Amino acid sequence: MQVSNITKSFGPDEARVTVLNGVSLTIRKGEFVSLIGPSGCGKSTLLKVVAGLSDADGGSVSINGKSVAEAARRKAIGLVPQSPALLPWRTILDNVSLPIKINPAANAGRTLRDPKEILTSFGLGKAMDRYPAQLSGGMQQRAAIARAFVFDPDILLMDEPFSALDEMNRDQQRMGLLDFWQSNQKSVLFVTHSVPEAIMLSDRIVLMAAHPGRIAEIIDVDLPRPRNEALYATDAFRDLEGYVRNALRKVMEAAHV
Amino acid sequence: MSDAMTANPVQTRKTASPVARLVGSWLPPAVTFVIVAVLWQVVALNNPYVLPTLESVGNSMASDPHMYWANMLVTCQEIVIGAGAGILFGFLLAVAMSELPIIEKAVMPLIVVIMVTPVVAIAPALVVAFGFGMLPKYIVTGLVVFFPMLVNSLAGLRDVDQKALDVFKTLHASRWETFRDLRLPGCMPFVFAGLRIAMPLAVVGAAVAEFVAAGQQAGLGSLVTISAAQANLPVTWASIALLCLLGVVLVSLLALLRKRVLWWSDADVIGR
Repeated sequence: MQVSNITKSFGPDEARVTVLNGVSLTIRKGEFVSLIGPSGCGKSTLLKVVAGLSDADGGSVSINGKSVAEAARRKAIGLVPQSPALLPWRTILDNVSLPIKINPAANAGRTLRDPKEILTSFGLGKAMDRYPAQLSGGMQQRAAIARAFVFDPDILLMDEPFSALDEMNRDQQRMGLLDFWQSNQKSVLFVTHSVPEAIMLSDRIVLMAAHPGRIAEIIDVDLPRPRNEALYATDAFRDLEGYVRNALRKVMEAAHV
Repeated sequence: MSDAMTANPVQTRKTASPVARLVGSWLPPAVTFVIVAVLWQVVALNNPYVLPTLESVGNSMASDPHMYWANMLVTCQEIVIGAGAGILFGFLLAVAMSELPIIEKAVMPLIVVIMVTPVVAIAPALVVAFGFGMLPKYIVTGLVVFFPMLVNSLAGLRDVDQKALDVFKTLHASRWETFRDLRLPGCMPFVFAGLRIAMPLAVVGAAVAEFVAAGQQAGLGSLVTISAAQANLPVTWASIALLCLLGVVLVSLLALLRKRVLWWSDADVIGR
């Protein structure tokens, strides 16, 4: 996926705020990229532009060489929003099957996954016939991630999927996603507020700065895979965490000047 | 309750037996009804020209059940056809408005104008226009329920979960798919809120239609006006009681239907 020179601003002429200023980014096939930065840096806006939910004023996005509109038509984009956004009147299985049922013309020529199998690998095998309200917040979010993986999209876009969960639950869901992704390597663009989360999951971390929203630094996470919880305790992880936090602090101080 | 909790005296709470709970929920309203009935009888026995006694109302119903039944059917027919059409049309117009905002812009001002005009004032004009048949009564009953259905359905269709809508958009869901799988089921809590308002109004509408657009002189509402004019109080109050019963039955049926259709919207019904 390629993002080139995206520009976007909001508001009336005199009070116009530039939210994204010349943002360019390439995500390789099977690469996990996190977007991190202070609030107002436009990371969620960038995700919306890539998802085709919001139009940019300038620049272009291409997914596998196709425009976002064309990619959506082919169901190439899997979205995991901030809230699980499951349909309360459908069982978990029916919720996860939904992307296969919708826009069926785009199903041709792709390897759809069995919803039951994917739910089982997400640890939701026993919850398939339940309704969203019967599940905990963490399980709901896992179902929402399964829903994005099930139709085999080219790229997954995740907008702070764990932000509504408490810290312990959050870590559990994070490791669940890590496990699943490591055995199903898809391109992912992952927006987060959490530095450890970004390091644990990503191949690269894109650090964004605010006012105007732009990319300040791209940090390679060259920690070995497969990763697991033990990584938190390693020196390499801590060094990198220190480095990212420091870079984040600099970006935020610069914004306050 | 788990053993650990029952073992702890502080946590233990006596839970009422089912019988006790039933008595607890039925007894207070029953007492209220009994008190009202007694007061009624006291007034009726001392002022026979103000209220009929309860047994005279009951006797009136028992002596001519066929007459009451026939009139009740007429009123039911007005409700089923008139309110049914009003509900359906209100909902369909809401769908059209939510899918094509231009329709709302074009039609809403007219609807507001019609809705602030008292139905009681429109009814005689409808009789002039559509004759003494059932049609003016259907229209009046339909008009009364139309607006709450329209406004509630429209609010429901708009109250779609934005994050779920984003997911549908990225899947390139068609308008029809988005409507069928997201907007339509999602708006049902609002539709039922609209129906909850519309159902009692449907009875009001039917009765008012019979008062004002008398025409064929049939139905419980007509029975009320005719018997009141003749100072035949037992018939008046028997008809009022049947109108009331009709409302209670409609609202109860609606509550049953709601439980079947909307089980997912009441979190406590599902249980966490």
